[in-house]
Amino acid sequence: MELGALLSCLSDQSCLVTQTTSGLIIGMLFFLVASGLTLIFGVLGIVNFAHGAFYMLGAYIGYSAYQVTQNYAIAVISAGLGAALAGALFECLAVRRVYGQNVLLQLLVCYGVVLIADDLVQIIWGSEYLSMGMPETFRLPPLVIAGGFVPPFYIFIICTSSIIAFLLWFLIERTQYGRIIRATATNPEMVSSLGIPTPLIYLSVVVLGLFLAGIAGGLAAPIRALTPGMGFSVLIVSFVITVIGGMGSVSGAFIAAILIGLTRSYGSIGFPLFVDGLIYLLMAAVLIIKPTGLLGEKKADRP
Amino acid sequence: MTHKSKLLDRRQFLATSVSAATLLASPAILQAKKSDTIKIGMPTILSGVVSILGESSRAGAQLMIDEFNKNGGLNGRPLELITRDSRAKPEEAVKAVRDLVNGEGCKIIIDAEASSGSFAVQEAIRELGVLCLHTVSEATPLSADPKLRVPTAFRSARQGIHDAIGGGAYAAAISREKGLKRWATCSPDYAYGRTTTAEFMEFAKHFNGDIEVIGQVWPKLFQPDFTEVVTKLLQLKPDAMYSALWGGDLVSFVDQSNLYALFGQMEAFAVNLGDYPVLTAVENLPDGIRSGSRYNKKIPDTPENSDFYDRYVEKNKVLPTNWSWENATAMSFIIEALKDVGSADNPLKLAESIKGRKIKSPFGVDGTLTMRSEDNTLVGYAVGYGITTKKEPFMKDFQTTAWDQIFELETKWKKRKGYL
Amino acid sequence: MKITQQEGKRKSLNEALITIAALLILLALPSLTGSQKIMDFVIFAAAYGVLATALNLLIGYTGLISFGHAMFFASGAYSFGALMQSETTSVPIAIVLTLIITATIAAVIGAICVRLSEIYFAFLTLAFQMFFHSVLLSWVEVTGGDNGLLGGIPTPVFFGINLAQAGTKYAFCVSLAILSIYLLRRIVTSHFGYTLRMIRDNERRAIFLGVNVFLTKLICFTLSAVFASIGGIILALFISGAYPDFAFWTTSGEAIFMVMLGGVNNFLGPLVGAILLTGLNDLVVHYTNHFGLFLGSIILLFALVLKKGILDFLDPVLENLLNKKIKTPNDTSEVENSDA
Repeated sequence: MELGALLSCLSDQSCLVTQTTSGLIIGMLFFLVASGLTLIFGVLGIVNFAHGAFYMLGAYIGYSAYQVTQNYAIAVISAGLGAALAGALFECLAVRRVYGQNVLLQLLVCYGVVLIADDLVQIIWGSEYLSMGMPETFRLPPLVIAGGFVPPFYIFIICTSSIIAFLLWFLIERTQYGRIIRATATNPEMVSSLGIPTPLIYLSVVVLGLFLAGIAGGLAAPIRALTPGMGFSVLIVSFVITVIGGMGSVSGAFIAAILIGLTRSYGSIGFPLFVDGLIYLLMAAVLIIKPTGLLGEKKADRP
Repeated sequence: MTHKSKLLDRRQFLATSVSAATLLASPAILQAKKSDTIKIGMPTILSGVVSILGESSRAGAQLMIDEFNKNGGLNGRPLELITRDSRAKPEEAVKAVRDLVNGEGCKIIIDAEASSGSFAVQEAIRELGVLCLHTVSEATPLSADPKLRVPTAFRSARQGIHDAIGGGAYAAAISREKGLKRWATCSPDYAYGRTTTAEFMEFAKHFNGDIEVIGQVWPKLFQPDFTEVVTKLLQLKPDAMYSALWGGDLVSFVDQSNLYALFGQMEAFAVNLGDYPVLTAVENLPDGIRSGSRYNKKIPDTPENSDFYDRYVEKNKVLPTNWSWENATAMSFIIEALKDVGSADNPLKLAESIKGRKIKSPFGVDGTLTMRSEDNTLVGYAVGYGITTKKEPFMKDFQTTAWDQIFELETKWKKRKGYL
Repeated sequence: MKITQQEGKRKSLNEALITIAALLILLALPSLTGSQKIMDFVIFAAAYGVLATALNLLIGYTGLISFGHAMFFASGAYSFGALMQSETTSVPIAIVLTLIITATIAAVIGAICVRLSEIYFAFLTLAFQMFFHSVLLSWVEVTGGDNGLLGGIPTPVFFGINLAQAGTKYAFCVSLAILSIYLLRRIVTSHFGYTLRMIRDNERRAIFLGVNVFLTKLICFTLSAVFASIGGIILALFISGAYPDFAFWTTSGEAIFMVMLGGVNNFLGPLVGAILLTGLNDLVVHYTNHFGLFLGSIILLFALVLKKGILDFLDPVLENLLNKKIKTPNDTSEVENSDA
């Protein structure tokens, strides 16, 4: 434990700037993954263990698109669309058949998909470590703000993720589509009896959630090495975020993601050997005190 | 509603045991035909994040086998490599080894497992008594600790302590030259990362008393994001940094550090950077990071080494790795021993033949490699540090550490550890 | 309950006889087949079979899905291994101590977890497991960190039993497994076992009937953990070591898959699942290096087409066949009927 270091960091402006932005960047990328996870759980009641695989797929598709076009924007969008397309297949061929079934059966389906996805990626892209490389535009020295370092690329990522978070919030809270999916989350029979095709709603939510995972993969591709199975460690952290924020709550995931990001960045100063332990402890504490998470509500039974 | 009866249980039991037995026996029946080949078993990691480890290990060994077979094999008997994916699980590695020996009839095992797997395999070999060459694990105790030694097991790989002595000497010299006193380390949080880092800093201090370690960060293995690690290093403001990160983790770390221009603010020593898959993956490698030797076409700079590189690339369409040469070397030792003994039937004889053997090799600093008889481990390979460059040959100003110096310090270190 | 005392006695005698028969067959297996490979397979399947059957005490009989059971599997392997390596105890004492250690850990973790229901219980057990895993990695002096318990597990001779001999080790592991499964069977057919089913089917009714649900769940959690640790001991004996991935969530995931594969509604389901999955693993690894592609496809086929465990699926089919020949007394179904 290095509490002294933590205290001196908290009283040092440059350290505050660096650590806070690094906490935000860690948190925002995880938020993109966790938001889809929590959305799918909220509406479909499915714990999507295969979410990390779509993050991985997004990163690989983004990598290939960048190789072809040398355009980062196209790469990120292809990553999202690619993951969404794969997600549509995933929903139609697999998830749809286990709606409302035993949780264990749903987990198994996801487990099978993860195993297949990791192997397919290895067969298609090989085992070599791949890295997209920093797009030319962002090959800039870090900005120095109040003595702290902030890379321009991370400002871009934080902004992009925040815009996505806002759009997502707007979509869920302020549009007709949002009202429908919120209604489906609480009472699918009612929605269905109003003549709204719930299977289509389910499909759209899965596609949306996995689109977000793909975007996260694409955005992160310049700074994270691509390897088969890379989705796993991201998935674990995203789960922790989802659980802390409350299963099903997108705003909860947002708060939890930033909380985890800041815990990591300041934790690495104050408790360098216990950063991961700290996060699991945080999750256990939340579950013990408020099992539904920070912003989660007690759900009605799934169909 | 489920209804059960005792009779049913018995039937279920019989049905399952019969079907399980048939399932298990079928591969053995199919394999039984090819009995004239000499089978060599290789448990390794072929799926997941480090699948490149298994693929380049297999490719390295296979290259040697193909050439040997093309020249007629062992009196007409070809060698056959059988790989098993352990998925990085030690218990699967043990099961694979037992199956390769008991089921496939392998008398020779090339253990291309990461450290924990290699310790597990070592125990299996102790019981099975077959010949085994560990080709990936760099963990020093595997061969240095007399309690762990097995008469028929050898290590044909780098060893942590050798790299630490070479790296420590180099770091001390650079530190003196540039006045680098305050050091930080950033290594993966597991046994390999911790021991390699401790050994490196121990020898750096041994050669240069001015060096002090002001802070250490330990990212987890396969951690997706290193941002907090990078910013922590920035806060520490050291003169120099040592890192034992490797593979994809190192690629991510370098990419993310670049954003903070970390490498401009401190001298960096990354022992595992000089491996082709890492060097080629990092898109904008900063100039001047210092790296240990892994595998490089120009180290040692001989026609034989370039020739190995060319043949490997031609066959596999990817660049060789540190694991490739280690497994190719293991195969060379096995082939020499087979030629010497004349058959693969007696593991003890093969082990006797390998013990202390010196072979001609493109990877030896003086053109030879030796399997040191006192602790069954490989010596004579290229140890040292150089400066990485963006383009081929990726490494310049390579300084080889003399093996005399390594031997001397290694002996002292072993005494301190109580291994001698 | 419609089962008369006499019938009950006959049933348990039957079960004891079947257990002894199964044990004898397994013990004779090596000399019949002479295959080392079959022995390896049996020990491996036995270790995971005990883990899965113990886990099913929670999943199938109590309705609690634990995603963290691998931590008890690991605590069994590590405690036993570390005790033997300390060279202060004999094998039987080490086993007893291991069970006590696991029971203590499980009681503490269980007391926190069993209050939660459904998915939250699963997540909390998962969180504890990850925490346990990180303790195994960082408590290097005792656990050896990620290298695992180094140097093999010594097994000094006790009561004339020498576990260093492959045949003896096999017999010992198999006996331990069969004994555990028999004891688990005794538990699920006891009053306690029926109380568990009642909690699973209708927790509120159990409370009205004066059952201390918390305590019952806690005892069940602890028992399940203790038996899971026996699975760990068997695996530690077999590979002569213990490794952190025993406690990783993938091991829990595999155990759950075994339970699912064999069938949650059948006592022997998880064991059958363990045998099948271990066999499948061996086959897939044997024929291909694309492990994930094949196992994943098999899992998907199973989960999407069959949708339930093999025995759950076969049960009605076989039962029809059997009912034509003889009428047999049912066990669990009677109570479930009267409960519903």
